[in-house]
Amino acid sequence: MKTAGALVWFIVAALLLRSTALTALGTRGIVFDVLAFATVVWALRNGPSWGATFGFALGLAADLDAVHWIGRHALVLSLIGYAVGRLRATLVRDSSRTHAVLIALGTLAHQVWVLAFEAGDPAGWPYLLKHVGLALAVTAPIGTVLLALINRVSGSILFEHVVPQSRSAP
Amino acid sequence: MGGGFLPPAERRTSVLVGVYAALSLLLLLTGDRIPTALLRGFGAWLFAPLDRVVLTVDRMAAAWRENRSLHERVTNLEVENQKLRMAGVENSELRRYLKLPDWQSYRLIPAEILSLSGEPKPTAATFSTGDRHGVHQGDVVITGEGLLGRVEEVYGGLSRAALITDPGSAIACEIESTGVLGVLRPSSLPSPRLVLTGVPLSDTVRVGQMVLTSGMSSRFPRGLRVGVVNGVGRDRGGLTLDIEVEPAARLSRLRHAFVLVNDRREEP
Repeated sequence: MKTAGALVWFIVAALLLRSTALTALGTRGIVFDVLAFATVVWALRNGPSWGATFGFALGLAADLDAVHWIGRHALVLSLIGYAVGRLRATLVRDSSRTHAVLIALGTLAHQVWVLAFEAGDPAGWPYLLKHVGLALAVTAPIGTVLLALINRVSGSILFEHVVPQSRSAP
Repeated sequence: MGGGFLPPAERRTSVLVGVYAALSLLLLLTGDRIPTALLRGFGAWLFAPLDRVVLTVDRMAAAWRENRSLHERVTNLEVENQKLRMAGVENSELRRYLKLPDWQSYRLIPAEILSLSGEPKPTAATFSTGDRHGVHQGDVVITGEGLLGRVEEVYGGLSRAALITDPGSAIACEIESTGVLGVLRPSSLPSPRLVLTGVPLSDTVRVGQMVLTSGMSSRFPRGLRVGVVNGVGRDRGGLTLDIEVEPAARLSRLRHAFVLVNDRREEP
């Protein structure tokens, strides 16, 4: 019940950020993929079932807001949530490098899938590829720093069953 | 070892993901036929108070700076308005002599922009004014700089407008002073932009000229500023001009807008 409540709050926060500050930043070339970031973080913290559920719910809410192509965000985010949740079981170190790679992969998958719907003609591909590149270049480093800050402030680690890198045995 | 290779918990998760994926695909195939306006209305109502709180910080920071420049602008506009009033009187008299109908009068309803949606550029916006403020479906939305879009859905105290960048948008326009006509449409190639289409190669259009609504369709009244010509080339078929237009309304800095309400429609 506690997780479900937190899920709703996390979704609301992500959607709020997306529809206010981040859309305005996006038009100025700063593309922070908050949907992919939130899904990766949630899946890392709560595993594949909750990861997929979070991705699906967040994606569906984003789809309803966009009018066209309902289901495109929901599909890719639920799969990202599931995949990252599964990876969580195999990861052994809670390091910033791992966070960066996972956020980058999640962002790449989300952006490529979503923008594929916009790519009708090859002439538009360079712009879309630039957009994907920008999203990767912004989301991965900022997301990693954000996670590091959250970890430092809260004093906890994301993967409950592993040892953080700084505290691991030599 | 009953049933399958996966442990029960993993099997449940796999089934769950399968259900989500199937649902998403079903929505992708049939979503356009589902009436989602009601859900969006509920979402807008739910998020409006939160959007206001989030935006308050941004608005307060910008308010002081804007206030100073607005004072200066109001003074300049007062002077300009005096000249325009006199020109307006002259124009009415001349139109009466020529037996032309009067310009339609519009009332402005101020609206706060609560949220933007659309990727990679915003294509829709949610406003803080709705049915109870006199906003109707189809009303035109503008900013101080120019045309923003058209109201598509109206809820109690909120409304949602499709911006001029919406893929389904088509606006009858003309080039200021030359009267060259065309239809402004968004294009995603080679990058998201606005293009004035249907302009013959024989027409002369120059970079920097203003693009206004032509009033050729009943959707937008004549004379609203839409943008500025940013580039002129030939379309891919080589039959018409490909005129790139820079929107007058700054989509990256949307805070307030005005809904144009036709007063004649409101008369009983």
